[in-house]
Amino acid sequence: MSIGESVHLENVTMRFGDFTAVDDVSLEIEAGEFFSFLGPSGCGKTTILRMISGFNEPSAGRVLIGGRDMRGSGPNRRPTALIFQNLALFPLMPVWENVAFGLEMRGMARSARRRRAEELLDLVALGNAGDKRVADLSGGQRQRVAIARALAVEPKVMLLDEPLSALDLKLRQHMRAELRAIQKRTGVTFIYITHDQGEALTMSDRIAVMSRGRLEQVARPDAVYNEPATPFAASFVGEANIFQGRVVGLSAEEVEIETDLGRMRARNGGDLRQGDRAMLFVRPERSSIALGGDGGRIEAELVEMEFEGSFINLRLRAPNRQPIMVQMANDGGLGEMARMASVPVSFAARAAIALPEGELAHQ
Amino acid sequence: MNRLSSRVILRSFILLYLVAFFAYLFLPLLYMSAAAFNQSRFPATVPWQGFTLEWFDALLNDSMLWSSLGNSLLVGAGVVALSVPIGLNAALLLHLLQKRVRTLAYGVMVSPILMPGVILGISTLVFWRGFDVGGGWHLAVLAQTTFIASYCMMMFQARLQRLDPTWEEAALDLGASHFQVMRRIMLPFLAPTAIGAAVIAFLQSFENYNTTLFVYGSDRTLTIYLAGKVRVGLTPAVNALSVIFILLTVAAAVLFEWRRRAEARPAARPVPAKASLGRAAPVPAE
Repeated sequence: MSIGESVHLENVTMRFGDFTAVDDVSLEIEAGEFFSFLGPSGCGKTTILRMISGFNEPSAGRVLIGGRDMRGSGPNRRPTALIFQNLALFPLMPVWENVAFGLEMRGMARSARRRRAEELLDLVALGNAGDKRVADLSGGQRQRVAIARALAVEPKVMLLDEPLSALDLKLRQHMRAELRAIQKRTGVTFIYITHDQGEALTMSDRIAVMSRGRLEQVARPDAVYNEPATPFAASFVGEANIFQGRVVGLSAEEVEIETDLGRMRARNGGDLRQGDRAMLFVRPERSSIALGGDGGRIEAELVEMEFEGSFINLRLRAPNRQPIMVQMANDGGLGEMARMASVPVSFAARAAIALPEGELAHQ
Repeated sequence: MNRLSSRVILRSFILLYLVAFFAYLFLPLLYMSAAAFNQSRFPATVPWQGFTLEWFDALLNDSMLWSSLGNSLLVGAGVVALSVPIGLNAALLLHLLQKRVRTLAYGVMVSPILMPGVILGISTLVFWRGFDVGGGWHLAVLAQTTFIASYCMMMFQARLQRLDPTWEEAALDLGASHFQVMRRIMLPFLAPTAIGAAVIAFLQSFENYNTTLFVYGSDRTLTIYLAGKVRVGLTPAVNALSVIFILLTVAAAVLFEWRRRAEARPAARPVPAKASLGRAAPVPAE
C-alpha cells in the first residue's frame, strides 16, 4: 500500500466572479495525517477539496502535493482520490468493475484487475459482492465500494467530501471507526470535509475550522475544543455560554471583564488589553451549580432540566434574560434543585476563555 | 351502500371510456384490414362481396411497390446512419455549453422540427442544385436528416439531463482521460437511447411524405408510390400491405416487451426511456 504525501496550500484564493469562496488560505497537511476541514455549508471547504483534487485551479496561490506544484495538472494526473458526497459509483458496472475502474484506465489486464478488485473488496469486508450491481447494495456497502475504488489507484492523498452524511446515525458512527482504521492501516493522507463537529472531533489528527473562506483555527481536536482561537471556533464547535463585555483588569494570564452580569474572570485567549471589547466563553460541562468559582457567578432561574442518564442538562435564565446552559454529572441529588427559586451558577477562571469580540457561528 | 354504488358507476364509466378509446384506435384498422380480404375492386369492406386472397397475390406481383419499399428501407437506413450520430454530437455539444448559449443553440437545433417539411424538401433540392446534385435516395436521406437529427438530439439530451455529473468527475479523478470517460461512462449510459433514437429515426423516415416529395428524384419511396396510386386508383392490395405492416408492428412490439421483461427480471433496473414519438407503419387513407 502506498504511503501518504503531504499537502501544502500556499496563500490559496479562489474567486467565482465577485464571490471569494476561499480567501488566502495557507496550510500544511502532513503526510499520513487525518486532517479535517470543519465549517458550515458555504464556508469554502468543498472548494478547497476541489482545488486539491484538481477540479478547480486556484485564482491565486499554489497547491503542492508531496512538495510538487500541482498547477496545470488535472484531476486525472494528481496522486489524489476523491470520495464524493453522493459517492458517484457507476451504476452500469458491477461492483468489481467499479473498484477496478482506475486500474482499467491505467491499462491493467482484466484478470489482474479482477484479482486486485477482490483483494480491495476483502479489505473493506465486501468479499463476495464483486458481481453484484451497485443498485443492489445497501448505503453502507456502497460507501465501502467507494472507498475500495479510491484505494485501488493507490492514492497518496485521499479526499473525502462529507461521505457519511447520507447514512443513518448508527451506520455513520460505525463508518467513522472504519474510515479511521483504513487510514491507519494504509498510511494514506486523509483530508476530510464535514460540517459535523462530532465526525471531525472523533476522527481527525487535526482540524481546520473554516468560516467565510478563511481559516479560523487549525489545531488538534482537543485544542479546538478547549482552546478555541476565535469566537467563531468557540461557538461552532461544541456548546458554550457566551458573555460579552469590556476588559477592566489584566493579570499575568487572566483578564477581568465587566459584563451585564457583573465582573468575570477568564484566561486571556487572544492577547486582550485593557479596555478591549471581549467575549468570554465557558462550556456547559465546566459550569457548575455552586457558590464557589473564581471566574464568575450568576443567580439564574431554572427553566428546564433534561435528564440524559449519566448527565443532566440544565437550561437556565440569567437576570438579563440571557439563556445559560449547565451540564452536570448525575449524582442522584437533583430533586431539591427543581424547587429552588434561583440557582447559583459559577465557573472557574481557568475553565473560561476570553477572546477579542468577533463573529459567532449561527447554530 | 351509497359509496358502493358510486364506485360501480365510476368503474362502469371507466370501462365504457376504455371500450370507446380502443374502438376509436382499432376499428379503422380492423375495417381496413377486412377490406384486404374483400373481392371488391375498391378498398372497402361494405358491400362485402366475398372472401379472397387475390389482393395479397396482386401485392406480391406489384414490382413497383417492392422496389419503392426497397428505396424506403435504403433511405431509412441512411437516415439512421446520419441522424443518430449527428443527434448524439449535438446533444453532447449542448451538454458542454454555458446556459445562455445553450438556450440559443437549442433553439436553432430544434427549429427544423417546427419548419414545414415541404420547406425542408424544397430547400434541400435548391441547395444541392447549386452543386449540380439532383434528386434521388441520397438527397432524400439528407433532406429527412435535417429534421430527424433534431428528434434524435432531443432524445439524447433528455437522457443527458439524467446523467450524474459526478460520474464524469469520479472517472477523471480515477485517472481516466476525456476519451476514456466518453467510451466507458457516457456512451454506455447513452446506448439505450441510441437504440430508441435509431427506431424513431427509421419510423420517421419510413412514413415521411412531404419532405421526400421534392427530393426523391426517380427513387420513389413507398409513401410516394402509394400517394401516386391514389390518383390512378387504389386497389385493396394497399390494404393487404397494411395488414402485413400491422402484423409486423405488433410482432415487433410483443418481442420487444417480452425481451424487456426477461431483462428486467433479476432486479429493478432503470428502464431505458421508452420512445413514444413516431407512429406505427404508415396506413394509407381509404
